[in-house]
Amino acid sequence: MLALVVLGGYPLVFIVLAAFTESSLGRPFQEFVGTATFETVLADADVTASLVRGVVYAVLVAVASVALGVATAVALWRSVRAGAVIRTLLLLPMITPPVVVGILWKLVFNPSGGLVDTVLGAVVPGGATFSVLSDPVLAFLGVALADVWEWTPLIVLLVFAALIGQDVEIAEAAALDGAHGFRLFRSITFPAIAATVGAAFLIRLVLAFKVFDLVYILTSGGPGQSTTMPAYIIWQAALQQFDVGRAAAITLLLAVVVTLVTLPVVALTRRLHHD
Amino acid sequence: MTTTRSPFAPRARRAAVVAGAAAVAMVLSACAGGAAGADDADGDFTGEELSVLLISSHEGASEWLKTEFEKETGAIINPVIVPYDEIGSKLALDQQSGANTIDVAAPWYTSLGDLAADGAIQDLTEWVDGNDAIDVDDFIPSIWEPYSQVDGKTYGLPFDGDTHVLFYNKEILARNGFDAPPTTWDEYLEQTKTITENESADGVYGAAVFGQKSPLILGASFANRLAGYGGEFLDEDGKPTINTPEAVAAAQALVDVNDYALPTPAETDFGAGNSAWFAGKVGFIENWTDLGVRSQDPESGSEVVDQWGVTLLPTGGDNTESRASLVAGFSWVIAANTQKTALAQKFVEWASSSEVNAALLTELPPTGIDPNRVSSLEDPTYGEEFPEIQEANRATLDGALAWPTGENATEAAQVLTDELAKLLAGEGGSAQDTLDRVQAEWEDLLE
Repeated sequence: MLALVVLGGYPLVFIVLAAFTESSLGRPFQEFVGTATFETVLADADVTASLVRGVVYAVLVAVASVALGVATAVALWRSVRAGAVIRTLLLLPMITPPVVVGILWKLVFNPSGGLVDTVLGAVVPGGATFSVLSDPVLAFLGVALADVWEWTPLIVLLVFAALIGQDVEIAEAAALDGAHGFRLFRSITFPAIAATVGAAFLIRLVLAFKVFDLVYILTSGGPGQSTTMPAYIIWQAALQQFDVGRAAAITLLLAVVVTLVTLPVVALTRRLHHD
Repeated sequence: MTTTRSPFAPRARRAAVVAGAAAVAMVLSACAGGAAGADDADGDFTGEELSVLLISSHEGASEWLKTEFEKETGAIINPVIVPYDEIGSKLALDQQSGANTIDVAAPWYTSLGDLAADGAIQDLTEWVDGNDAIDVDDFIPSIWEPYSQVDGKTYGLPFDGDTHVLFYNKEILARNGFDAPPTTWDEYLEQTKTITENESADGVYGAAVFGQKSPLILGASFANRLAGYGGEFLDEDGKPTINTPEAVAAAQALVDVNDYALPTPAETDFGAGNSAWFAGKVGFIENWTDLGVRSQDPESGSEVVDQWGVTLLPTGGDNTESRASLVAGFSWVIAANTQKTALAQKFVEWASSSEVNAALLTELPPTGIDPNRVSSLEDPTYGEEFPEIQEANRATLDGALAWPTGENATEAAQVLTDELAKLLAGEGGSAQDTLDRVQAEWEDLLE
């Protein structure tokens, strides 16, 4: 109970109080301002755009991660030669510190000799320098790609564990009845792991909503505002602008958005689990 | 640039002079005494420790300060190094949380107002006014006020002058038919465009333009042009004036060079820009004057030794007088809740002295420190070793463009930077639209 209060209750109370008071970094809770901060924040196009951008990003990244993760886990499960070494190597992106992941992908996207620029230069000699992180759309996709690369192994791990834990006899019986290939996967294997996939999607969704380090390292939220995610704008408000009240208000709005987006996923996961 | 390194003997002599002068300053200070806390009434700081918060660019300077201050007082400096964009929040959180691990810090001068409003730093007015040893009149006037004053009170003492000038690679300019650096932003664009068109296939570009979305980076590039076009952040009454024709022209100049700069401005931070400069891959770079010291130091990785020159920032529009731009710059402040005020004052007085500033200007490895005092700017060793840099730095004597420093100035700088980033990314409409939005937000924040 004490742990719940310390870990959950105190931060929540702090954020709520900060959101409804004039609060700076050094002097929180100066004066009650009611909903004024929320009104200011909601009128700020950059903030609302970052919340929408965060939803698009989270859904995109979660779908891509789960699709890739399930495919990889099934491939590993079916491959008799996939041993512990390969499985460990696949986990490397996940156990690499996020800052290192950011630096790695920054090198990959570097317009002066980075991997992408070099490969494109070899394919199209004499072409202009190719800069992923300078184009608003490509930068958004670039951050998403790095994020998918970093966290897909988690999905692989979860789904692989579900795959090896399923009842083999059911699949064997289905095979004897003539089911094989994609039909066997669709009718027998996937339903057996669907609840795990749903849970993995939920976890991935929440992780994607929280993305900060990759944005910080790769783009600083740019070009323009194209990669300014909610966590980044909260950090800017609190630690760059000393405006803790504004940061707290955006945090609460983000919590509402995350709840609205994840509730259907939670319900679906629960249903899959009961099925 | 024909500057060459002098032997180390002058440096040794200078160190001795610094030590002597600092000792005299300490004695004078001890006599002045007034505001020193009761914690060290005898002035003996031997073995005492002081936590000093600095940005990573000042790590080299911190090592020199630590060594020399310990020689002078016996006190031990414990530098705490953080990224340049985290020093203000680190100090504010340290004080607000009650941790109080920091005694002295050197934040960006723009954050002085916010730190003061947050109660994170001490009001130094009484101490500074009562201490002749500080010699306020020797600080470069255009630096003194923004680096120290908030609403008529003194909250800091200048540490790192940090004005931008324009460095150019002589060989690249010569290869492209230019025998002199640009004096206007239009000429700068023309030369940059020519170099990039001629040599980008070989990885050489006209200019490195700091455009990463940070006030100290993209904001600095804009401030340089704003100064050149004769614009201001605030008018004489302290009210925002950021959407004037001069400011719009400055923002447009940044947009115009975007396509010809080292790919790409949006990704160019200090590391990327400086690396390209030291590798001889860019014709121009706007930078702090201390870049010249590092450019002449092969041990710092410079491949442009004796290949570079430096000139004042270009001008633009109707303005023909080059003006310095105090784009960055850092001030010594004393943490509000330190229990070592006397030692902190002793350190700040010493570290902001002319002798220390002069020594840091030419110290090797380079410390990244620029002049903040008239006397250190005119230091003979500095003039002997880096005459062109010294001349460029003299621009600060004739007035310089400084960022706002009052409460909310940090947020104002971020607002401007975010809008400029949108403009460069093609998201913000025209330069006029962009700065109209900034003006509206600044009127809320700064008035």
